[in-house]
Amino acid sequence: MSDGDALLRAEGLCKRFGGVVAAQSIDFALRRGELRCVIGPNGAGKSTFFSLLCGIQRPDAGRIVFDGRDITRLKPFQRVRLGIGLTFQTNRAFHAMTVAENLETARRGGAAGDDVHFQTALASFGLAAQLERPASALPHHELQWLEICMALRRGPLLLLLDEPTAGMSPAETARTAEVLTALAADGLAIAVVEHDIAFVRQVAQTVTVLHQGAVFAEGSFAEVTARDDVRRIYLGHVHEAAA
Amino acid sequence: MSVAAASRAAPRGSGLARLLNGPHDIGRTPGAWAVLAAGLASFLVYPHWATAFQATNVAYYLLNIPMALGLSLLWGYGGVLSFGQVAFFAVAGYVYGIVAGNLPDAPWGTWLGVVSGLGASAALAAVFGYFIFYARVAAWIVPILTLVLALLLSTFLGLTAGSMWTVGQVPLGGYNGMTGIPALQVGTLTFQDYAFYYLTVGVVVLCYIGLRAWVNAHRGQVLMAIREDTLRTELLGYDVRREQLRAFVLAATLAGVSGLLYVQWGNYITPSVTGLQQAALPVVWVAVGGRDSLLAVAICTFLLNQLSYVLSSAGNQYALVIIGALLVAVMMFAPEGIVVTLARRTWRRRR
Ligand SMILES: Nc1ncnc2c1ncn2[C@@H]1O[C@H](COP(=O)(O)OP(=O)(O)OP(=O)(O)O)[C@@H](O)[C@H]1O
Ligand SMILES: [Mg+2]
Repeated sequence: MSDGDALLRAEGLCKRFGGVVAAQSIDFALRRGELRCVIGPNGAGKSTFFSLLCGIQRPDAGRIVFDGRDITRLKPFQRVRLGIGLTFQTNRAFHAMTVAENLETARRGGAAGDDVHFQTALASFGLAAQLERPASALPHHELQWLEICMALRRGPLLLLLDEPTAGMSPAETARTAEVLTALAADGLAIAVVEHDIAFVRQVAQTVTVLHQGAVFAEGSFAEVTARDDVRRIYLGHVHEAAA
Repeated sequence: MSVAAASRAAPRGSGLARLLNGPHDIGRTPGAWAVLAAGLASFLVYPHWATAFQATNVAYYLLNIPMALGLSLLWGYGGVLSFGQVAFFAVAGYVYGIVAGNLPDAPWGTWLGVVSGLGASAALAAVFGYFIFYARVAAWIVPILTLVLALLLSTFLGLTAGSMWTVGQVPLGGYNGMTGIPALQVGTLTFQDYAFYYLTVGVVVLCYIGLRAWVNAHRGQVLMAIREDTLRTELLGYDVRREQLRAFVLAATLAGVSGLLYVQWGNYITPSVTGLQQAALPVVWVAVGGRDSLLAVAICTFLLNQLSYVLSSAGNQYALVIIGALLVAVMMFAPEGIVVTLARRTWRRRR
């Protein structure tokens, strides 16, 4: 790969679950401050790819370099401490805690970066006024925002978001897009798995299409969506999802 | 503004009072604190009207509370169920007996026994817990492994009859156990009778206050986060295995505290303290009281120990059956625990 200054570089990542090939030789690179969308049909291996990046799954083959270090063998919490933040496809903020307790728990784990991105997100998402509420009382979109703020709490260099806007209204989705764009402009590297094509159009600098566990296409939103083969495997599905 | 708000949100400072009144135990209203203070006061003045024998009995009902509180921390707050707390109880008791029994003339002999007993419990828990948590064995296997530990220890101790199992001058005693264990001493004061009673009350209160602060402090919060969602907690940067091991060692040390009090009470210990029946009891006390409330667990442990003692000393063969039936009934009708359920009801009615 040409980008020697990549913050994150994955080379030849492979992962099988029994007979299912969830990742086959994925190459992927992300620069500081880049906002990347990862798209692909259901079962394409998007979540598996993120699990490999943050260490929930160990790759069968391949290598992951983050911020100049080979992290392929590191445990999830060690990767987080090096500066990777992640949210899951389903919301997993701690429902039994208040918003403040969630953020405090996040503050005392995590990487030790500065928290400007967190402060930006907390203010933009309007969560600062809700600190004493129990997380279980928040509406779905605010729970998603809370989990993003938790992932940002200790100032990661890279944020991995797995379908953050699933279940959000168009207005909430647009607001999420705005905030993420601002964070990336501020130097944070973000990779987002998304099905919502309006969101992808709004935020993506580059789009990576995964299909059957492999990188199928990569390029600008316009380039990628203009390709017939991408439309065939993916865009039919997008219209369903948007409907 | 958000910066200020967020740092204010860093919940509860480090002041002990704020920690104690944090959200993670029942009894936070001024009324509840008054009841607690009155309860403590009545324990303090009780010996005034009681014989030394009665006071010693009450101390016996109290002495399992540290072990139960440790299990409450581990299981109720941390989500890790152990049937092996009695093993750590036994190890502390036996090691104390060996050390103190070999130093009958040293003024600090019994205190070295205390330190060695607690150290041995903690060390056993650290080694055993390391294999459990760092191997990331599935959560449902932990109760079985810990039970096996307790039963193995009981079996082993049962085999220690005869002179080859005499450590220094102290025989382990096989099934008959170790007898003549010296009581704690400071100068001329021996902790027996009333002194033992006050020692027990003091230790129980300290354990309770310390743990209540602990569960409301950051370490407790992390434990509850792990219980709710282990992977989410790890992906906030926590070494989950280490946090669980820490709680396991703490719980084992508290079981050791109970073991030490136990050998003060009767001056003997037998392998049956870590046998099958005893292994189940701490889980019963904790579950019946309400496993995620330290106060409920403390109250219930006291009452159930009194119940078993009264039943079995009245010659009732069915003490264990009755306690077991109680467990079943509670799990069916008040699964959060009797004390917790009653406390919530009372509080709601008063509002
Ligand atoms: N832990 C696992 N065990 C077995 N198979 C798995 C596991 N995780 C994922 N898979 C399989 O791997 C493939 C890729 O799954 P993955 O969840 O990564 O897809 P995805 O692109 O995130 O899909 P979606 O859009 O539905 O979230 C699927 O066939 C899935 O069934
Ligand atoms: Mg997925």
